Amino acid sequence: MSFKFSTALSLTILTAGAAHTQTRELDAHQHGHGALNIAFEGASVAMELEVPGADIVGFEHPAESDADRALIDAAIAQLAKPLELFAMPAAAGCTVTEANVALLGEDDHDEHGDDHKDEHDDDLKDEHADDHKDEHDDDHKDEHADDHKDEHDDDHNDEHADDHKDEHADEEGEEGHNEFHAEYALTCADPSAIDAIEFVYFERFPNAAELDIQLISDKGAKGFEVERDEPRLDLSGAI
Amino acid sequence: MIFARLAFRSLAARWLTVSLTILAIALSVVLFLGVEKIRNGAKASFADTISGTDLIVGARSGSVQLLLYSVFRIGNATNNVTWESFEDIREMPGVAWAIPLSLGDSHRGYRVLGTTAEYFDRYKFRAGKGLEFTSGVAFDDVFDAVLGADVVASLGYKLDDPIIVSHGIASFTHHEDKPFRVAGILAKTGTPVDRTVIVSLEGIEAIHVDWVGGGRAAGSLTAEQARTLDLSPKAITAAMIGVESKLRIFTLQRAINDYAEEPLLAVLPGVALQELWAVVGVAETALLGVSLMVVATALIGMVAMIFAGLNERRREMAILRSVGAGPGLIMTMLIAEAALIAAAGAAVGVAILYAGLAALQTWLDATYGIYIPPTGLGEREMITLAAAVAAGALAGLAPAARAYFISLSDGMSVKM
Repeated sequence: MSFKFSTALSLTILTAGAAHTQTRELDAHQHGHGALNIAFEGASVAMELEVPGADIVGFEHPAESDADRALIDAAIAQLAKPLELFAMPAAAGCTVTEANVALLGEDDHDEHGDDHKDEHDDDLKDEHADDHKDEHDDDHKDEHADDHKDEHDDDHNDEHADDHKDEHADEEGEEGHNEFHAEYALTCADPSAIDAIEFVYFERFPNAAELDIQLISDKGAKGFEVERDEPRLDLSGAI
Repeated sequence: MIFARLAFRSLAARWLTVSLTILAIALSVVLFLGVEKIRNGAKASFADTISGTDLIVGARSGSVQLLLYSVFRIGNATNNVTWESFEDIREMPGVAWAIPLSLGDSHRGYRVLGTTAEYFDRYKFRAGKGLEFTSGVAFDDVFDAVLGADVVASLGYKLDDPIIVSHGIASFTHHEDKPFRVAGILAKTGTPVDRTVIVSLEGIEAIHVDWVGGGRAAGSLTAEQARTLDLSPKAITAAMIGVESKLRIFTLQRAINDYAEEPLLAVLPGVALQELWAVVGVAETALLGVSLMVVATALIGMVAMIFAGLNERRREMAILRSVGAGPGLIMTMLIAEAALIAAAGAAVGVAILYAGLAALQTWLDATYGIYIPPTGLGEREMITLAAAVAAGALAGLAPAARAYFISLSDGMSVKM
């Protein structure tokens, strides 16, 4: 990593003193606007959902009250059931084999890069994955509430939020974006029977307005946009 | 059915004005259907240009732009991709194959593409068809070049001919010190490959090896000297990626998009293409609107023709009335006339369209790479045609109503 990074830097034209320049970049983050990827291969279906926290729970600050935490937990529980959000025809016979849901901070990218990200990614994802698989709903609430509190709040608030404020005082509105990331694995008895997907998602999450969809199957890749006004994706001939 | 026979005979009696009106409607129908055919043909041809490639990777810009410059050779890259990044991507989990593309030089108006020999196996078009050589083979030497079918057709190269690459696009600086040799000629594909000169990445590197700061350095190296140098590429323009499993494609896409060392963009060609259609969709709708307006104009012309005819046909009406035709029959007859003209217009239009397609298909494919399959009319087109005929009949109501009222009094008391 460090070697590659330095070679990459040396290729760029650098002025003296810029040696400690760090790359600053932020992903696009637009409230109301999420992304859903769907891949079909044989009987397997892989799905990925990335949505701003605002679309799902209506806020993006770290959970502060019990009510916030309850909202996040309820949302994660809902997001863990993809077939209830993205309804596929019963004839396809799809079942969820794996569902991982995580809440990721968006500002991980710029200043506190790596450790922050890793923490989120690893801890949260793994834990969620396990919970969901093994004991689904029971331990779910307790554990998550705690996790969230311990890791999220403390670290985040104490270390990150503070220096953030100092540095980016002028863009306070921008700070603390977060996103829900979900990954699903499904198996379908007859994927070719999926001629449409109903987006119950928009009923469940009233703040969500639009999903950009990338879909790939043996018939090639396609892009779609599904909006709240017409929460249905016609897939006849696409799979 | 007497009204239909009357209408037909009456039209036949006025064949000149009637056939001109039919022609006007026919041409408007040709325009409408032609726009639809070409639109769908162009879309299908675009979609057929690349198949089998799962991801296209380039410098971070827009997905449509990346697709256009890497696959369609339209426009230019914002940035290059370093060779290190390409090698990293090739090693990423889930990558089955990765082919570098290096664009930027040209040969007499045709783009020069630097790539690896694997390109000839991996590039697929029209649902999985592969590239075929009409003569020669893929390059195996630094200074070998493979030509697309259009390049050969217009510039008349043969195997083993020397070919000099120019620096940049539309440039007057030539790499004449290091000529390439035509090693292979590709069969026609109907894709931008036809208009491309393909050489090895090392070849691209070799012709630039003695260039300093955008110009040739003094005491430049000969081709033979260049061969002895390290010709491993430093940068490429884009890359085509194939994945091992489609299920992991989005993970790989995210890994490339989040690649920390260099801002990169990975797109699914089909998705980027759909984005492009979304952009041009407005223009398409406008075009469709215009062609529908032309159909409407032709129908209005027909109504005007019938109206104008009413006056000179007072005698005809009077005779019909005197032999016992009721005003209702006169009215039905005029509506039938309008419907007949519109239907004839539509039929002639369809005939002209298919005759035109048959005549121009090869030329369209060769010149613009737009292949229009000689398929029948789609459901949507049939509906539109039926609607046009119905609209014609409906428009015939106006002159018919007028005839209904005037034929009662006016017809009998006519003075000639």
